[in-house]
Amino acid sequence: MSTRSNPQTGMLESILLQLPLRVFLGGVFVFAAYNKIPAIQSFAEAIKGFQLLNADTHPELIVIGAFVIPWFELLAGLMLIIGLRARSAAMGIGLLLALFIYALLHVIFTDVSADCSCFGDENFICGSTVGWCQVIRNIVFLIPAGYLMWRGPGRVSLDQVFGKPEQITYNPQNASQSVDA
Amino acid sequence: MRCMHITSGLLSIVGAAFLFGTVHALMIEPINIERVATRTDGEVTGGQGRRGETPPSDPVDAGTPDPADAAPDTPATDEPVGAESPVEIEVPDEVLDAPVPEGTLTLRQSYELWEDGAYFIDARHEHEFEEGHIQYAAWLASSLFDTDSDRAFAIAQSMPPESTVVIYCVGGECDASHNTARRLEQIGFTDLRIMGVGYTDWVDAGFPTGEGSAP
Repeated sequence: MSTRSNPQTGMLESILLQLPLRVFLGGVFVFAAYNKIPAIQSFAEAIKGFQLLNADTHPELIVIGAFVIPWFELLAGLMLIIGLRARSAAMGIGLLLALFIYALLHVIFTDVSADCSCFGDENFICGSTVGWCQVIRNIVFLIPAGYLMWRGPGRVSLDQVFGKPEQITYNPQNASQSVDA
Repeated sequence: MRCMHITSGLLSIVGAAFLFGTVHALMIEPINIERVATRTDGEVTGGQGRRGETPPSDPVDAGTPDPADAAPDTPATDEPVGAESPVEIEVPDEVLDAPVPEGTLTLRQSYELWEDGAYFIDARHEHEFEEGHIQYAAWLASSLFDTDSDRAFAIAQSMPPESTVVIYCVGGECDASHNTARRLEQIGFTDLRIMGVGYTDWVDAGFPTGEGSAP
């Protein structure tokens, strides 16, 4: 199985790849939430501007989204950084990214002029107006999210400390079978 | 088994986000995303304290800023551009009266209000404002009320609440004007108008513009 590894390789991968990716991706989402949570009204206006939901018929959905999405970003980001239920956090971030990509494409193809507000009033890599840059950026963010879902948080994580079932543990017998294969 | 565990973890995060979001919603003022009622006629109301009580005698000659514009709605660095030659602007009627979304101003109505000294608010991004804006306009994006409320209220308070305020953004389906209008309505402004056309339409028509930093 490709997901099995010996302790040394696993630790190396954990320190050189999984930990930096977790900190980066989690940090990006914590940063996004940090900028949105104090400005919920602006974020609600941004969601409305995407015109994905009809603000006249379903204003409550926009309001719920404005309050829940930033907190989801914050919690998932923090959990990813510390490696607690990291696969779940990576999956949540991946699904959120997919939703964002869909919303961005909706804006682009319906020729709506909308602000991304992806990081509140701040910009990260791309400008504020919705365009292909944000789509590509989110697709790029999907890569570490997918990798962390696949490989897990690595050994430097709370999942490893608490021994969550989702964390893959080293099994010498399987490892030798893997090498043989 | 692992799949179940990942899913349950994901649902836990969603549940926690709902919980925190609910507590957050209870702790702050309700948010409002409804559109405000705006007027669509081209007549200035609130005779007191209009922007430039002495309107520019020749708005084409934007190189001579109105002295009455020492108010905060005119940044010190607001340098008029695009009006080097004082020629009469001739804009086709189909451009001036081009269809606009319901409840918003046409380009003609907007220009008439500008001539009459109405306050103009630029609701786009600050960097867009600095690159160019309708002459004498002030920058006031809705998000400024969240990120720097002191500055936002200072700009809002530089205009009398009963004055005519025209708000614009990039045009088309942009919501920024409506968002700023909602904020201004909440703090007591009574005569808010939304430009149905955007800044680029104003520029394309050759109407006066300025550039420079926001106050």
